[in-house]
Order: sequence, then structure tokens, then C-alpha cells
Amino acid sequence: MTSVEFLLLVRGPLFAIATLVMIFGLTLRLFEIFMLGRKANLAATRAGGTGPGFRTMFRRFAPVDKATFSQSVLLTIAGYIFHIGLFITVFLYAAHVEIIGSVLGFRWPALPSPLVDFAAVLTMAALLALLWRRLTHPVVKYLTKADDLLVWALTFAPVLTGYLTYHHLVFSYSWLLAVHILSVELLMVAFPFTKLTHAITLFFSRWYTGAIAGEKGVQL
Amino acid sequence: MTGCEAALAGGPEQSFTASLLGEIAHLLGQLAASGTGGAIDLRSLPLQAADREALERALGRGEVEARLTTAGGSEVFETTYPGVWWVRHRGADGRISSETIEVTLIPEILKTHADDLAGARGRLAEAIENRLFEFQAGEVE
Amino acid sequence: MKTDLRLGDMLQARGVSRRAFLKYSSYLASLLALPPSAAPVMAAALANAKRQSVIWLSFQECTGCTESLTRSHSPNLEDLIFDFISLDYHHTLQAAAGDAAEHAREAAMAANKGKYIVVVDGSVPVKDGGIYSAIAGISNLDMLQETVKDAMAVVAVGTCAAYGGLPGANPNPTGAVAISTLVTDKPVINIPGCPPIPEAMAATLAHVITFGKLPELDNLGRPKAFFGVSIHDRCYRRPFYDKGEFAESFDDEGAKQGWCLYKLGCKGPVTNNACATLKWNSGTSFPIQSGHPCLGCSEPKFWDMGGFYKALSEPMVDIPKMVGAAALAGGVAGVATGLLNRSKKAKAVKSHQKVTVDDLTKGDAS
Repeated sequence: MTSVEFLLLVRGPLFAIATLVMIFGLTLRLFEIFMLGRKANLAATRAGGTGPGFRTMFRRFAPVDKATFSQSVLLTIAGYIFHIGLFITVFLYAAHVEIIGSVLGFRWPALPSPLVDFAAVLTMAALLALLWRRLTHPVVKYLTKADDLLVWALTFAPVLTGYLTYHHLVFSYSWLLAVHILSVELLMVAFPFTKLTHAITLFFSRWYTGAIAGEKGVQL
Repeated sequence: MTGCEAALAGGPEQSFTASLLGEIAHLLGQLAASGTGGAIDLRSLPLQAADREALERALGRGEVEARLTTAGGSEVFETTYPGVWWVRHRGADGRISSETIEVTLIPEILKTHADDLAGARGRLAEAIENRLFEFQAGEVE
Repeated sequence: MKTDLRLGDMLQARGVSRRAFLKYSSYLASLLALPPSAAPVMAAALANAKRQSVIWLSFQECTGCTESLTRSHSPNLEDLIFDFISLDYHHTLQAAAGDAAEHAREAAMAANKGKYIVVVDGSVPVKDGGIYSAIAGISNLDMLQETVKDAMAVVAVGTCAAYGGLPGANPNPTGAVAISTLVTDKPVINIPGCPPIPEAMAATLAHVITFGKLPELDNLGRPKAFFGVSIHDRCYRRPFYDKGEFAESFDDEGAKQGWCLYKLGCKGPVTNNACATLKWNSGTSFPIQSGHPCLGCSEPKFWDMGGFYKALSEPMVDIPKMVGAAALAGGVAGVATGLLNRSKKAKAVKSHQKVTVDDLTKGDAS
């Protein structure tokens, strides 16, 4: 197979399959989760839960308290860097905006490519630091299962291959671009069926937590 | 300040010219020591028009200039640094087809080739034989 | 013209000096990315070489490749290639027609057995026994196999011959294939492009005549000297790509500023060719310089790369149409799983037995 044929395959049928599997999986998981329902609240409602629910959704993006922070400095810093860096590289790189725009039909302004490039480097550094922590910290190491490593690799691969593609490193551009797209497709397929789903479900669970607390009278 | 000094004194944009000059100086030393110089193909380098002009200014024009009329025009000139020649070939449309800096005693393209020499001898002998030349009446005894 | 003479002698009789050979060779050396010191050696080799017999076969093609090689605006160094070769068969250019033309081909094959070069432009249809294209009643497939049998090498000129090109594009009704698919026992050089750059064709032929062997080829059979680097890597608009400055449409401010054409579908990053350096029309310009994205014409499947104006990274399938179906299927499967979970839970609740104090103290009593 030539690099062009490979590129055509990943841009065509494989991309379609990956997208459809991701959408199928996500709707399946969401319906499944929502159908679990909530137990009826038998206690008298002290205050509204909707407001605290939504506030909690966003409040928890803010850094943790000092005590927790001092206990896990690396986790907090590397965690923030990698999440923000990943957001920037995925959603604010011009070529990515173009792809998402071609599927969704609307586009938004992108950041200058050198900035995104910088974010990608930080993201990779943070991801490597977190992997190192996972493999050396006794407790985290004990808790680590195969799927944790899989999810790490699925997240790291697109950033690395994207970086190589952008800088035209090691291999020809067409191979790199094709492998990069393929790595993203693997991520998309795994997204609904692994811990990666937290990128979406975190909003529901935060709302739920905030709403329960709110109804009990703790207006978060 | 000579053209060369100006090129070397310039900012980073002159660095390409400067490194080429270094290469030429190296070849010149080689020519002086062993009798064999070398050549630099300017077309194979990512030179901008400005780089090329800077290099030409830096080397300057020396004592010898030659024009070829074979297969489109060509210019050959020695720079102000004897032994450093600029050979610029053009196609019939005037477009530069190749451009080299040759560090040599005399560029190959200026020398008469043995085959051409043999051809010339034959043609001249034939012309004399066939009395192809017309002379003024007074010139022939 | 006699073909047993050395090129140097033959052309000297026509007033072409050895200086012209040297000049041509320095041009060639530069084109082929050889060191300048190779030029005198090449000039000597070329002068000593015999006139090369070339048989040019045109199959499913548009004659654009021949036009590219022959229609320079003014006499050029590329024209010298026609002094070095004896073009013994080319049904567009030759004066002879009909049987006489085919006889010329057969005569050249017999006279230069094992030494002639076959140049092919156009793809070959193989579907239904190759009936879709024929010359003088001979199918392209038969003519190719017959002519190539005693050839020294085959040069597939243009994207159709090199990769199937337009005739081979989806849905490929005639079963058009590349020359390299059919010729497997002879060296095949691909010089793709629609059309190919004239210098690439002339210099490659000259390389074979001068050195008697093929130039260095890449994994797609293309001479590395011309196809070693992508358009993107040599593009003068590259700095805009690196800075992330893209034209969004053909008439916006970015387009006027000459920004990168990636988003308008430029295939420069995946296209290896020398357009950005050698340029077209006597070095005037090339597509990107005139404001149009590179179509990727020298790459396999360039017609099927998902549209000329679609960015390279964009998916080629219409996703939104299928998204609804996928979401619906996911929803149905989700509800089913949810119901299954509920029924499991209900069953679990039903079969739940309450433990009484008696149950717990039973053992103690005995």
C-alpha cells in the first residue's frame, strides 16, 4: 500500500467507521446512564438543586484547595497542563478547526500554529510526567490496570504523531498524516467504552453532586 | 571596505553569502596547494535573487570576461579574486540554465576540446583544398 | 539519420561543438543534483554515446505529456534531447501513417533488439480482454507486451502511465492500469505529472543515455532528483503555513496576501515534484504561485483524493448524513441496555429475602 492509498483509507472509510462507532457508543452509554435514574428524595427539599448543580459543574474546574494541592503537586500541575494543552491542540489548531468545521458546518477562530505547537510540547511533557508517576508511585502503581495504560497511550499517540506531522520529522508527511489520523480514530473508537468518557460524563456527575447538596441545603 | 568585507560584516541575512565565500576560499587554497580546485553549483542551493546578487557584489568582476554564443548565450568572467570564475549558462530563451562558481586556472568551457580541434583541422584543410577562400587580387602572388 | 555514429561526431557535422555538450551536461548535472565535477565526465560520455532508439507508445492519454516535452516557447536546452534520441515511433509526431508507421516500430525493434527505450504515455485498459483501446487493430495491452519484450528499459511518462491517472480514476470503467502493473521483468521509470515537467522527462532520458543505467528511484519508481522533495517543503508560501496564516477562500484578504492554500485543498504536503523549483512555462510560475492549490497531479489516485478543494486533513465521507443513524442505533441500544439493567434490578429486588434476628441467631441456639 502506498502512503497515498493509506491516507485515503484513513480519511475515508476508517474515519467514517470511527465517527459512527463513537456516536453510537456515546448515545448508548448516555441512555444507559440516564436510565439508571435517581432514587426518589423522600426528605423535604430545603432549597433548589438546579443552581448549585450548574455552579458545581464549573466551579470544579478551579484549582483544588491548598491542602490537597500540597499533597499531590505533580498530579495537579501536570494534570492541568495536559488537559488545557490537549484542549488547545485538539480544538484551537487551524487544521483541526477545519476538520471539525467540515463535519459540524461551523467554525471558530484558531490560535497561531506556533502557540499550538508549544501547547503540544507541554502536553506531551505533562503526559510523560504523569506516566512516570503512575509507574513509580507505589499506590498508583498498585491501582494501575491495563486499561489505564491503554487510555494513556491512546491519548499520547495523537499528540506525538501530530507533532511529528507538523514538523515533518522522521517520516514523510503523507505517512505521518495518515498515522496521525489513524491514532485519532483509535481514540475516537475507544472514547465511549473506556475511562475517556469522563470528558463528557463529568458534567452530569458534577451537576448531580451539586444538585443533591443544594437540595439538602448546601448552596454550593 | 571591499565587497567581500561588506558581505561578511552584514547581518544574519548575509550569512549564506559568508558561508559560500568561506567555501570558495577553501577551494582556492586547495587549488594553490594541489592544482585542483572545485566548483559550486549555485542552482542546487536555495539561493534567493538577493543572495545571488550579494555574492556577485562580494566577488566583483576581474580582468577577464568571455561570452559564448553556443546553444543560447553564456557569460564567463573571472572575479576580482583570480582563480575564482563565474560561469553562467543561458538557454536560447535567455533563462539561466546553470550557474556555477568554478575555482580553477581556466574554466573547462573556455578551452578548445580535442575533438573540436580535430574537426577544425579537417575543415580548414578541406577549405584550403577546395579554394573556398576569396582573396583580393593584389594579395596573391 | 545513421545511428552507428557517435553523438559527438554526428552533431559536430551539424556545427554543435563540444562546448555545447559541456554546457548541456552542466545543465543536466544541476538538474539531476549531481556535483558540478560530473559535467565534463557526462559531456565526454554523451559525445561517445550512440543515438538512442526510442519507441514512444501512446495509450489512454491526452497527448498533454508530448505537448509538455515539445512545446517550449522558444528553443531550449530540453530540445537537445531530440538530437540525442532517434524517435523511431510516435504516432502523433511521426510523418508516416497506417502500416508504414507500424513497420517503423517493428524495424526499430529488430534493429535495436535489447537496446531501445520504450516511453509510454497513457494507461492500458485490461478489462474485457483490453478491447477498450487499440491502435492499428492491436490492443494497447498486446502492443505494450510485444514492444517491451526486447526493450532495455521502460519510461512511464505522465500520471496515467505511472499510476493509472484519469482513466484509472474511480469507477475505472475500462480497467485501466499503470505500466508498472503490466511490465514486471524490465526496469520501469515513472515520471508522473499531469503533465510531467519537461526537464524531468528530458533529463531522465539523458541520464539513461549518458550513464547507460537508471537514475536513483524512490519507492514509487520516480527519479529522486525530481521527486525527492515535496512541493510543500520547497514552497515559497511555506512560512505562512508555519505561522498558521491561511487563505480561507479565493478572494479573501489572506488570498490577496498570498497566504498558505492548505485550507483550500492544497495537496502540496503529500505531493513530490519539482514544480516549486523548476516551475512551468520557461520558469514563469507554478500553480501555487498563481494562487491555486496544488492538485497533487504527480501522486497515485490524485483524482480520488476526496476533491481538489477539500483540505488534506478533512474526512472524505459525508459524516452528518450517517450521524443520525448512528445516534438512533446508539439510543435504541442504550434504551435496551437500560431496560435490561432495570429488569435485572427488579429481579434482584424481588428475590431479595429479609434477614430476621431469628435467622442470625439460629446457629447459636443449637
